[in-house]
Amino acid sequence: MSRFEAKKPSLCKTEPLTSEKVRFTLSVLKGILASCYGPSGRLKQLHNGLGGCVCTTSQSSALLRNLSVTHPVLKVLTASVQNHVSCFSDCGLFTAILCCNLIENIQKIGLTPTKVIKLNKYLLGLCTSYLKSEACSCRIPVDFSSTHIFLGLVRSILTSKPACMLTRKEADHISALILKAFLLTIPESAEDRVILGKSIIVPLKGQRVIDSAVLPGLLIEISEVQLRLLPTQKSSALKVALFCVSLSGDFSNAGEGTVVVPYQVSLENAVLEQLLNLGRQLVGDQVDLVLCQKVIHPSLKQFLSEHHIIAIDRVGVTLMEPLSKVTGATPIGSLNTIASTTYGSVKDLSSARFGSKHFFHLIPNEATVCSLLLCSRNDTAWEELKLTCQTAMHVLQLTIKEPWVLLGGGCTETHLAAYIRHKVHNEAEDVVREDGYSQAELRIATEAFCSALESVASSLEHDGGDILIDMKYGHFWSGQSDSASVVNWQDMLSRCGCGLYNSQEGLSWSFLRSTYHPFAPQKCLSQAAVGTASNLTVDCFTAKLSGLQVAIETANLILDLSYVIEDKN
Amino acid sequence: MAHRVINKRRHVGLQQLSSFAQTGRSFLGPVKATKFITDSECHESVLISSTVRLLEGLDLTCAVGQLLNEAVQAQNGTYRIGTSTLLFLVGAWSRAVEECLHLGVPTPVIVSVMTEGLTSCIEAVVPLQVPVYNVFDHMDSTSIVDVSLCPFPSDPGLLKEKRDFKDAISQLLSTYSLSGRHAESPKFFRTQAKVETEKNTPQALQNGLSTDSFCRKSALTHSRHFSRTDNSHWINRPDGFLEQCGLTPRTSRCNDLVELAVGLSHGDHSSMTLAEAAVRLQWQSVSLRQANSKTPFMFDMSRILTCCLPGLPETSSCVSLGYVTVVPMSSIALIKELQGQPFRVILIEGDLTESYRHLGFNKSVNIKTKLDSGKLPEDSAEELWTTSVLQVLIQFDVNLILVQGNVSEHLTERCMQSKRLVIGSVNGSVLQAFAEATRAVPVAYVTQVNEDCVGSQVSVTVWTSPHDINRANRMAIMLKTEGINLITAVLTSPVSTQMETKKDRFWSCVYRLYHALKEEKVFLGGGAVEFLCLSHLQILAEQSLNKENRACSGWLPDSSSWMASSLSVYRPTVLKCLASGWHEYLSAVMFNTATHPSAVEASTFIQHHVQNATNSGSPSSYILSRCSKLSSGLFHSSISDNLEVVQKVYDTVTPKTEAWRRALDLVLLVLQTDSEIITGLAHTQINSQELDGVLFL
Repeated sequence: MSRFEAKKPSLCKTEPLTSEKVRFTLSVLKGILASCYGPSGRLKQLHNGLGGCVCTTSQSSALLRNLSVTHPVLKVLTASVQNHVSCFSDCGLFTAILCCNLIENIQKIGLTPTKVIKLNKYLLGLCTSYLKSEACSCRIPVDFSSTHIFLGLVRSILTSKPACMLTRKEADHISALILKAFLLTIPESAEDRVILGKSIIVPLKGQRVIDSAVLPGLLIEISEVQLRLLPTQKSSALKVALFCVSLSGDFSNAGEGTVVVPYQVSLENAVLEQLLNLGRQLVGDQVDLVLCQKVIHPSLKQFLSEHHIIAIDRVGVTLMEPLSKVTGATPIGSLNTIASTTYGSVKDLSSARFGSKHFFHLIPNEATVCSLLLCSRNDTAWEELKLTCQTAMHVLQLTIKEPWVLLGGGCTETHLAAYIRHKVHNEAEDVVREDGYSQAELRIATEAFCSALESVASSLEHDGGDILIDMKYGHFWSGQSDSASVVNWQDMLSRCGCGLYNSQEGLSWSFLRSTYHPFAPQKCLSQAAVGTASNLTVDCFTAKLSGLQVAIETANLILDLSYVIEDKN
Repeated sequence: MAHRVINKRRHVGLQQLSSFAQTGRSFLGPVKATKFITDSECHESVLISSTVRLLEGLDLTCAVGQLLNEAVQAQNGTYRIGTSTLLFLVGAWSRAVEECLHLGVPTPVIVSVMTEGLTSCIEAVVPLQVPVYNVFDHMDSTSIVDVSLCPFPSDPGLLKEKRDFKDAISQLLSTYSLSGRHAESPKFFRTQAKVETEKNTPQALQNGLSTDSFCRKSALTHSRHFSRTDNSHWINRPDGFLEQCGLTPRTSRCNDLVELAVGLSHGDHSSMTLAEAAVRLQWQSVSLRQANSKTPFMFDMSRILTCCLPGLPETSSCVSLGYVTVVPMSSIALIKELQGQPFRVILIEGDLTESYRHLGFNKSVNIKTKLDSGKLPEDSAEELWTTSVLQVLIQFDVNLILVQGNVSEHLTERCMQSKRLVIGSVNGSVLQAFAEATRAVPVAYVTQVNEDCVGSQVSVTVWTSPHDINRANRMAIMLKTEGINLITAVLTSPVSTQMETKKDRFWSCVYRLYHALKEEKVFLGGGAVEFLCLSHLQILAEQSLNKENRACSGWLPDSSSWMASSLSVYRPTVLKCLASGWHEYLSAVMFNTATHPSAVEASTFIQHHVQNATNSGSPSSYILSRCSKLSSGLFHSSISDNLEVVQKVYDTVTPKTEAWRRALDLVLLVLQTDSEIITGLAHTQINSQELDGVLFL
């Protein structure tokens, strides 16, 4: 008997952003995210409270994956940031914090949403066209002839994740490894299109970070026993058969329904006989190496090893695609006869031992696949380091496509804000003539927009220091707070956030939180300064630009929400 | 989802860490106090004396506790030693870091100064490393000392091959005396005997204590690095150490296994005697087999096993070449029959049951068997399988089956009737060792067996005498074959609760030796390393106090931050706090070993020596000179004038420094954490008492 229940009416709330509760949760979320930002950001312990594993992190991808927010406004926010992170890996916190700041600031100024949205779009247009223009002085073109900028980019990403627990020496080592791994994925001879390869992260927990290494080719983990069975090397290339079907001799894919078998007929033996036939064909085809994603039946293994064929099973699904790429073999999905075209080859096979683990090292003829053996002392730090390495490699790929980097350390944000302020201050009249809002409204919205950008930069400070901006370049400077009365900033400050300028250049400063008179930040980045500056902090151009767009569009979307309709059933 | 701020007034995480770590205080140093963990519900209790066992018994469900457990397990998994050091330093350093916070030092400054301080200390203690090499060189592999023995020989035929352990060792002693390296004064033995607490420690060990050279020079007096007139900054020249190591005569080397073993015994002579005998036995067995090959000997841990026999007196503990295991009394007749004759063996990797299938084989549920004739078969599937297995065994004339997994009881009985011995739950490395020695090939199923898979020339002996069976109605046997590289340490104890502790201690000793041999270096122990760290940090702190140099940026991750410029202001404070961790460590060790009646007294004693060391200008040479004078560690104040008692204490290198790094990493990780986010919890699931300071999103 089924029972029907009357449907509950949907719940409709107007103006969700005016609710005190939503504002509060939004500010808590912003607090969580902003406290994670930057190299001195604080970490968060994520766990389920029931004894599950503890994740210590300050990365947006790990945080947002685990945060379960309830309110639709927050869901919109986290979903769009997660979407950005899944496409660009980097700048997730920047996006989220900027979006929260913008919503907060705009709520204070009391303009109608339609006007604000229009103005935000206009300001965003100003930002993107400036960042993409040749005149942009917070953008550096990438010099492919040296590793300088690339290393800076990787190191900036590594140092902004304190939960990796790297010392300076370790950070340098890992940066170099990431760059090396990335270079190994670039094919040597490129035709019209370059297809980048893949670098696979092989975990080696419990070891020192400094023991991490990069190897060309693939590493397959095996047991020590298997290692001892490795036969003597062949001089020529090895012929490879790659199986994605299980060779364990079971019949798990028999389908639905019941199979009735007469007594004294053994299905297992029948399957085993089929496997051995397959083995005979492999022997006949003079295969040297059999790789199987799943399990190989012990009898088949024994048969193969008697015929001097190396059999490696339980390779795992993640290695299948790279294996196929490296060897040129097509994964075999059936136990019937094998076409000779499916075989591939490898140049050499050796064994390697790292820490307590043993590996087969597959050395390909030529391929763009490499293995990054990543070590870390404990699990929490390893997970964080792995995520960071993936981010760094992705960022390097993005940088190849759009060969620019943005100045990091808060300088791009403050510089951009200074630029927008100045632009609006000087050209407000032209803009207002075209569109339907007053000059005052444009000024107010610009202030909200710019201070949202600047508060992202101020989020880099977690220990009570003061943030300053210089009146020449519009860069970010960090100063000690109790020295507020000191006029002699030149001696108190050392370098700007990105490291491009030092304080001895006859600059003048203003507090970021106080209002400063709009000025035109100096355009045209001097190439000489970029060339000589060492250890620049730089950000990924593509990821930051997208983050900026996502943040503003999401803020617009959230500001535009007038009803939340909840289905209570 | 709930969110809790854990860094309000005092850092809750650091407090939790320090209170967890407090429990492991008594495990530090050579004299360990044991603990009872009792279950308040069922009144069961466990006797423990190691950090790992302690954490197994603690409730560590909170996030910080779990991180602590993870760190200890990681250290244990990688090195198997150093966990007590790790636990203690976690506690000491979390208190030190709290002190820093209290003094208003910004978190990133604490993190960077402590990390660099520790790195600098690890570099500074390099001069205290003692190279270990050629420890096997003066052992003659042809004069075989058969340490494998059976204390209760049951077969008189085998008697001549077996000797009492002490006899064997005393033969060792004579062997070494012949080499002329240990012509030692009898005076030495007298003093040593006083120190010696355990009567059954073989004299060879004591003999080994005397070493050839104690003429260390204060070579580092003129070191640029340690000189207090050094004006350049320490951070800038970390590789200065390497230079010094190359130039100066190093501390004396250790090239005697017995000396090494005694140094690494850390007060546990009985376990170390066994561990050392195991290493020696493996070396002999390997060098006999590879008489011609020139590959250097690598100590293989996987070929060492333990066999626990509770109920026997402690003196029956020994080390033997071969596989000692416990079998039920019902097989005694069979074993007596097999004894003394070589027989054939097969090795099974999985279970030996009818239903067993290899890993990855999924059994189908939807297959049914149809009977054609309508009558049941005469024998069950089990019976049919047993018969087929027996047929294979008969066909290949196999008398011994070693099985990694479980064994069907029915089969065991049937095998026993046909005079075949089946042993289940055999360690994988045992199978591997038998495979290597007998050329047998391990298989998963009996049906795979062919002539190439069968090994031969295995023999069995009864290890315990039938009169000495413990109450469990089981007895120990030993399986052996020519050239097997497998060593079983038989551990006995009259008190069965001590069994686990004894086993843990044995393994610690073996692993200490293993790491020392693998790294080919050890630290001077007995607190020397920690003491040097203390003095080194004191000098660093003073250096940065005296200097008005603030251009020392470059190692804060964000070098443009204001904190990079104010590092020098905070550095002395933070370094002092880091040093206080080792200070606590040393005073706890001294208090535990009862060299000082109170922790305070120990503390002042350390303070005094640190001052001396820093005043001397070169702490490492101060320590080296003290070490050559003092016995069993640096600060044995009671016998500090007695130059006759010379016993070196050693420590492993990487496990120790890694324990330091792990401890500091954990503390700094917790320090940088400001909130705890509990995922996937409904509001109601959190107790109301915990609700304080929890926010919901």
